Amino acid sequence: MLRQVNGLYPWPYDGRWSAADTALLVVDMQRDLLDPEGWFALTGGDTAPLVAIVPAVARALALARAARLAVIFTIESHRPDLSDLPANKLWRSRRLGAAIGEAGPLGRHLVRGAAGTAVVAALAPEPGEPVVDKPGKSAFIGCDLDQILRRRGVRNLVFSGVTTDGAVQCTLRDANDRGYECLLLEDATASDVARDHADQVHTLSLAGGHYGSIATVAALAEALQPETVR
Amino acid sequence: MSLPPVDAEPYLWPFDGAWSPADTALVIIDMQTDFLKADGYCDLMGLDIGLTSASIEPTRRLLERMRALGFTIIHTREGHRPDLTDLNDNKRWRSARIGAEIGTPGPCGRVLTRGEPGWDIVPELYPVAGEPVVDKPGKGSFHATDFEQVLTSRGIRRLIFAGVTSDCCVHTTMTNANDKGYECLLLGDASAALDSRNHAMIVAITAKRGGQFGAVAKVDQVLAALA
Repeated sequence: MLRQVNGLYPWPYDGRWSAADTALLVVDMQRDLLDPEGWFALTGGDTAPLVAIVPAVARALALARAARLAVIFTIESHRPDLSDLPANKLWRSRRLGAAIGEAGPLGRHLVRGAAGTAVVAALAPEPGEPVVDKPGKSAFIGCDLDQILRRRGVRNLVFSGVTTDGAVQCTLRDANDRGYECLLLEDATASDVARDHADQVHTLSLAGGHYGSIATVAALAEALQPETVR
Repeated sequence: MSLPPVDAEPYLWPFDGAWSPADTALVIIDMQTDFLKADGYCDLMGLDIGLTSASIEPTRRLLERMRALGFTIIHTREGHRPDLTDLNDNKRWRSARIGAEIGTPGPCGRVLTRGEPGWDIVPELYPVAGEPVVDKPGKGSFHATDFEQVLTSRGIRRLIFAGVTSDCCVHTTMTNANDKGYECLLLGDASAALDSRNHAMIVAITAKRGGQFGAVAKVDQVLAALA
């Protein structure tokens, strides 16, 4: 039995968490979004705030692995034939200047198998850590995340990754509706616009934690410290 | 009947230019007494229902016009089965912690419980016969409901969103719809939050990066396209 994480409220709400029922999600930390030659940068996005959290995510990852929590990565990407790409998403990406599926420096933008859809090297998945390819913002739509979580008996989810106002919040909201107990790591998540990250944290804090709790990586580390070193 | 596009931000909506009553629905999210009216539980908890109730009249104006033109109108309600068998344990715990435990007696009946007065839709926007009402146990309207089944059955591909709260159930439903390929429009003045910063944030991030979740317009801009 682990100690609760000190955050917006002590997490999880009922104190029940262990390696057997808890996963760290690393959301969309892929080269398309973080690399200076990637799709996000090519469409005018500022990658610097996203890159800035890599050390914090790496620390969360190391903590999770040491504590033997499940670790699951998500990647925003599409089938090579783009049969899972909504017409309006394609249209909007073209308007931003880099259509999904077009070739770029990292291969075809947001297409599975292209270099851009790899997790950044500093956070590379280890064997046995599932990578979930998803066609939208939420990792509960058009992919098998829920199946994997239920199969493993996971009910507590710790969130890291990008962007806070995009895939992170969309996935967290859907997880909460499904009964998962969620924790947002506020310093291991980021948006390209600092204000958008801060606003999202503000909204997710509604009513004392309407969608789950919020904490720092340091608080997670403190809770995961083995009894012997307390 | 094909309609002219709506003068929305950040693009003329819908993206492909065409919309009609046959393929477009007005989705009115959670316009329930508990969220909007004096003596509802939001009011009793000291939350600012002035912000949410201001969305009723703009929603009513558009509802009446779209209803007259034969659009599909879909209403949602957040609430749980009376035996609470669909209530997640952590949702119940959090509601108890802020003094409004779901299922316990409140000012307008049992809080967020189906069949209670506070849970029902406000009279100004009450559904008429033939308008589907979707009862949902969560924030998103797709989860644990037949919302998508209704949309698919009617051939709906475009969704116009009104309701409360913009940062909670409206946003969750709209971002899910966008992921599923629906072309979405958020009505900035026919939706509201209990915190004005949160509402402004939702409008901003919806229109961000060329409209990452769809477009945003005011009721009058939609009415102009329907004139």
